[in-house]
Amino acid sequence: MMRGERDEIPPGTLEMLILTTLATGPPRHGFEIAESILSVSEDVLQVEEGSLYPALQRMLLKGWIQGDWGKTDENRRARFYRLTAEGRRQLDREVDRYRRVARAIARVLATA
Amino acid sequence: MSLSQWRRRLAAILGRDRAASELEEEMRLHLELRTRQLREQGLAPEEAGHAARRRFGNELAVHEASAGVWGWTAWERLLGDFRLAFRNLYKAPGFTAVAVATLAVGLGMNVAVFSLVHAVMLRSLPYAAPERLVSLWEESFKGEPSQFTTSGRSLGGDTSAQRTTISPANLADYAGSPAFAGLASFDVAAKNLTGLGTPERLQGEGVSANFFDVLGVKPAVGRNFLPEEDRDGAAGAVIITDQFWRNRLGSDTNVLAHSIMLDAQPYQIVGVLPPDFQSPYQLTIPDRVEIYVPAAYPRELLTSRGDHEVNAVARLRPGVSVRQAQADLDVISASLGKQFQSTNRNIRAGIAPLRDDIVRNVRQSLWILLGASALIVLIACVNLANLLLVRATRRQHESSVRMALGGGRWSRVLQFLAESLTLAGGGCVAGLGLGFLLMQLLVWLAPQNIPRIQNVTMDWPVFAAAAAVALMTGLVFGMIPAWQSSQAKPAEALKTSARSTGARAQARWRSALTAAEIALSLILLVGAGLLLRSFVRVMGVDLGFQPERVLAVGVNLPELRYHDADRRLSFFEELERRVTALPGVQAVTFANRLPLRGGWGSGAYLESSPDVMRDADFQAVSPGYFETLGIGLERGRLLVHNDRKGQPHVAVVNQAFARQFLSGADPIGRRFRRSSQPWVTIVGVVNDIRRGGKTDDINPQVYLAAAQTDLYPVRLADLAVRTRSDPRQLVNAVQRQVWAIDKDQPVTNVRTLEEIISRSVAERRFEMVLLIAFASVAVLLAMIGIFGVLSYIVNQRMGELGIRVALGASPGRIVVMVLQQAGWWIIVGIGAGLAGAFTLARYLESLLFEIRHGDPWTYAAAVALLLAVSLAAALIPARRGAKVDPMTALRYE
Repeated sequence: MMRGERDEIPPGTLEMLILTTLATGPPRHGFEIAESILSVSEDVLQVEEGSLYPALQRMLLKGWIQGDWGKTDENRRARFYRLTAEGRRQLDREVDRYRRVARAIARVLATA
Repeated sequence: MSLSQWRRRLAAILGRDRAASELEEEMRLHLELRTRQLREQGLAPEEAGHAARRRFGNELAVHEASAGVWGWTAWERLLGDFRLAFRNLYKAPGFTAVAVATLAVGLGMNVAVFSLVHAVMLRSLPYAAPERLVSLWEESFKGEPSQFTTSGRSLGGDTSAQRTTISPANLADYAGSPAFAGLASFDVAAKNLTGLGTPERLQGEGVSANFFDVLGVKPAVGRNFLPEEDRDGAAGAVIITDQFWRNRLGSDTNVLAHSIMLDAQPYQIVGVLPPDFQSPYQLTIPDRVEIYVPAAYPRELLTSRGDHEVNAVARLRPGVSVRQAQADLDVISASLGKQFQSTNRNIRAGIAPLRDDIVRNVRQSLWILLGASALIVLIACVNLANLLLVRATRRQHESSVRMALGGGRWSRVLQFLAESLTLAGGGCVAGLGLGFLLMQLLVWLAPQNIPRIQNVTMDWPVFAAAAAVALMTGLVFGMIPAWQSSQAKPAEALKTSARSTGARAQARWRSALTAAEIALSLILLVGAGLLLRSFVRVMGVDLGFQPERVLAVGVNLPELRYHDADRRLSFFEELERRVTALPGVQAVTFANRLPLRGGWGSGAYLESSPDVMRDADFQAVSPGYFETLGIGLERGRLLVHNDRKGQPHVAVVNQAFARQFLSGADPIGRRFRRSSQPWVTIVGVVNDIRRGGKTDDINPQVYLAAAQTDLYPVRLADLAVRTRSDPRQLVNAVQRQVWAIDKDQPVTNVRTLEEIISRSVAERRFEMVLLIAFASVAVLLAMIGIFGVLSYIVNQRMGELGIRVALGASPGRIVVMVLQQAGWWIIVGIGAGLAGAFTLARYLESLLFEIRHGDPWTYAAAVALLLAVSLAAALIPARRGAKVDPMTALRYE
């Protein structure tokens, strides 16, 4: 681990990014998810793209996403992830929570 | 975590290889795609590969993180803990063997007793919806009812004087209650079987037509009884057991075409019961019931409310509770009491769940045995905890090093728990094996009158209970040393050497545990002592007659061929004459029933006080009765051959008769009679006997001359032979003499009186032997405990003792010093044990005979024994302490 080289990502951010990515468009495999997240946020995955995979496993276990094996355009075997109903609810909850926290922080900063 | 998450997690653990390879494949694809993309952006191929890998991060770390997500890591750590525990235990075979053996003994004894308790008291009865089956009886309250006779044998044997079998006339009223879906009656109906090999007397039951329907049993072949078959005078019908069908009819498929001869009357076979069927009565007796016939009560019985003759079983309607049914019966009993003042005034019907009712006489002793075996488990656990503590102490140094090197306390605790759980698992398996053997020993030892004793097996509830106890043991008693060792302070411990052991707290723990062991063993010792003393008392009771070398046989003459009393009398007189002539015979007698074999209680009125009915045991006996049984004449004369029909009616009574009914006045010459029968003159007094056996009361006895009892409702049925040597050798000869008179007449219930006595105390012997065994094991375990703790303490003080010896302390002084240290917790243990024993012993009260549960001699003896044993166990390490060579001891430091 390369600690201290950059700001720590708040826990759960990666999961939220994955949920957001999968919320729109067709099911995607790991590399596509990574690319999509990279285009949104350079920071999060810049250091270790590999950390995407344990996160995917965790979300599979929690039942937020589902992974089905299929073929890519180039006929390579890959696991395609898509959101489950539970995952969609989780995303809504996360977004709500984020907005609440953000508003609270904004208020705190405004009074400072 | 939700259920589906658990399921996915479990799937991941089970399918981990596939999951890992899938992850690998995903990661490979990712790297390849990234490499290609970078190459397309202009990087050199080699450079692109490196850059892709750099951006991806540590692949191994990704694998590990994923494994953590799926719970593989925790799983693996757990496996690792157990693997290490196993290896550690394997390296300490002595400790492991003692620990596993201790636990196995405790669990094994418990498992054996529990399987007995489970089979006898807890398992459902083998009928459809057994929880709705209830047993019915009648009980007299507030003194006696005005007219009351019974010869019925009630289910499970009777201990309460008030409880009795039911009058069939009342039963019809009870059956009318809406609480019951069905109510059936049954009673013992043994019959002589002829025409199928040697004549035999079969154990049988006379049952109401709906008996099998109420139990929810359908014959495997044929049908249940029809109501018209259950009528007095109906043609004989019989339902046979599977055993009868196989053994006596050779599994004949055409069985329904047969009829069999019972008591010289043909009975048509209408059904064969399923192989596993056991009637409620069968569950309470060891002999096999082979035939069921319709009860077909005679009309006079069906109208006589004072005759309490039958047992009943009922099925409650769904949703009706026992309490509701009882309330309903109370109403019916009350209204019958008003309607039939003379017979029913003080009678009420009682019910209880059939399963509980069957075991009511053995329930308490079984609970006590289970309690005692639970104490054994507790002692075994304490011992195990003690052993684990020693081990933890020895490994204090190891713990300290591990912690100093960064090992967490929690992981150390887990390590110890893994070890104690592994031990518990081993103990559980060994305990189940030992328990299985002990269970068979127990069944073999157990008195045959324990219901369902033959059905004792080890099954899942027993396994589950054993596993639960073992798991608890492992967790709870493994926790103490685990916690202890996690308290290790690395810095301090490292200062001391590897073999020295510091913690004073541990010595305290171990002393407390040993005191607990002593207390628990004292409780068991007191229990065993009380039962032992009580048993000795029972065996010491004088019966008043001499049962040695007396053989008793039953000859039940069937009504059809011997319907009048004269024919029965001449049969028995002929038999007596023939048996007397046999070699080795000293004396012969016949009677309705011999002592220990049931009897005929009845009431009579003395001429001097004609208003009071006197209850006594009545019997019809031949003149040789007193000589054969060794009953002595006190006054007057015995019965003689001349006391026959046509002569004045005479009787011999015992001393209790004179004491209780005549205030000790001389009974000779006085007269009594049973209701309207002729007056009988008392001509002699014999000594008292305990007719029902060792623990029976001494009751008034009336011996009538058998030749003068044709007017009484009494049947001659028993023959007794006093022999010069082993009475068993005469069995065949007696049987041949019976067949010489009547080739169709079976001989039954062949027992020596000593065998009967031995059986009658079997239950007491069983309880006593078991409790003594438990107490012995407990004391042995306590000895191991004391020995262990003191050895440990002596080891700990080796250096100090060495200095003392070097400074001139005598060996005797050292021994006393060590013993003093042991002394206080031995005393604490004994004090606690006395308190516990005194509290618990009251539950033994009902099993004791002429001994109070607080019997001081028993307590004193138990304390003395335990003190002696404790001292002996303490002396070995104490003497070792005294023999310390100062030089060796000092070199330890």
